[in-house]
Amino acid sequence: MEFSIPALPDPDPSTVPLGGTPVQTTGRFIVVFARGADAKATLARTAGVGTVADSRDFTAQAVDFSQTDGSDAVWFDALGVAVVTAEPAQLGALRTAEAGEDAIISVSPELIHHILDGDYLQGYRDGVSDLAGRLGAVERPAGSGALAAAAANPPFADNAQFTWGLQATGVSTSPQSGAGIKVAVLDTGFDVGHPDFVGRSVTTQSFVAGETVQDGHGHGTHCIGTSCGSKAPESGPRYGVAYGASIYAGKVLGDSGSGSDGGIIAGINWAVENGCHVISMSLGADVASVHPPYTVVGQRALDAGSLIVAAAGNNADRRVGNFGFVGTPANSPFIMAVGALDQKLDMAYFSARTLAGTRGGQVDIAGPGYQVYSSWLMPTRYKTISGTSMATPHVAGVAALWAELTGYRGRDLWATLAQDSQRLLQPSVDVGGGLVLAPQ
Amino acid sequence: MTRVTVTVDDAHRRSISTLARSLADKGMQVDRVMETMGCITGSIPSGTATAVATTLRNVPGVLSVDPDVAYRVAPPDSDVQ
Repeated sequence: MEFSIPALPDPDPSTVPLGGTPVQTTGRFIVVFARGADAKATLARTAGVGTVADSRDFTAQAVDFSQTDGSDAVWFDALGVAVVTAEPAQLGALRTAEAGEDAIISVSPELIHHILDGDYLQGYRDGVSDLAGRLGAVERPAGSGALAAAAANPPFADNAQFTWGLQATGVSTSPQSGAGIKVAVLDTGFDVGHPDFVGRSVTTQSFVAGETVQDGHGHGTHCIGTSCGSKAPESGPRYGVAYGASIYAGKVLGDSGSGSDGGIIAGINWAVENGCHVISMSLGADVASVHPPYTVVGQRALDAGSLIVAAAGNNADRRVGNFGFVGTPANSPFIMAVGALDQKLDMAYFSARTLAGTRGGQVDIAGPGYQVYSSWLMPTRYKTISGTSMATPHVAGVAALWAELTGYRGRDLWATLAQDSQRLLQPSVDVGGGLVLAPQ
Repeated sequence: MTRVTVTVDDAHRRSISTLARSLADKGMQVDRVMETMGCITGSIPSGTATAVATTLRNVPGVLSVDPDVAYRVAPPDSDVQ
């Protein structure tokens, strides 16, 4: 698309950053409007912006700038964005409207961009930061992971109010509860008599022949606690992420801790048929290849709006240089594999590394998985254990919070978790996109 | 008996019950028929498992026949689970 660049105003000396190349602006402003807003009316009413060229008037919506010189603004209809030539008073009016009205989301100077070239890039970045600081950074949408300031720095520790894992992931300060979201935990079942879950919506089903859903091991109760535990447990700190979610406890592992594909796939089938938005599976086998049923099962679950998260595996011992590998079903391409971090946000010593050379074999994300306090069988009530099994329900619970906030399901929900995770210095083969973060 | 999972292609998911009957006719002891996931689980005689699995794979609509993997979580008193 060819267009002519109008004569540039001299760069405003106040925008020259220290030691950097000045950021150049055109003197125009980019105004972002909310979906459905009547932009032309808003521009006219708030800032007296008269003539607006409309992208829809051009063939294939390709705006020809040689024809827009006489206009005060150009409106890009598909994007909901206008480029506005504004006097200072008009700019002031637009910014005031931005603060008060629903129609305008942001007002930013139109920047001049260049091809990236060595030192210029450094100066450009410094300049943009400086300019953004002076003019006010663009508002980020609610819920996005601007968490660096909010979260405390590692090392984390359980305190009277929250387990360390809830603090590190920002769950402790998240407004979401997982209300309206169904979380299935496929594991050793659930202690249905645990006092911390009184009044919760709990649906149970056993897929282990000859055994009821009542948890005879503890592992399942611990994982349900982490993913969906109460906002206010009977005693001790809060240990659960999605305290408002509906719990679907599927027993696919016997009280002895063992299970097989038949029961697990039946559990997934049940969860998907019941509309569960998130399926948490803290189980795996040390098989260094993709097990074919889970490729199809994972895909069909995503198609139905269910996101499956599974433990990467505990077969590493990093203390002696063994990095392990992601086994099945986590190594399946359409199942999210979760690695385990400790309180310093270092890798837990047992956390399995990406299975190399295998599509789907990567660790996708990481969660708190070391010395995790959660519910256990009565009368023991609570227990602190470690594992990628513990990291997985953190991710499942946080997925429920994002699902509640955004309405996203399946692949969109996966993308949201990946986008908003906290990037770490650990290699991606160990942490994928990083530490899972809750909406703020 | 060797436990197996038969994965069914999208085109045959709707008629999965019919497909399950074919599998049963060919020697599979069918346990569960799951239309949503498109999987049929059950078992085949261990002695002739390879031959039976091959026969099942050749049934139209079958994507794969895979022996069950065993899963186990560590004992309840383990630090790492």
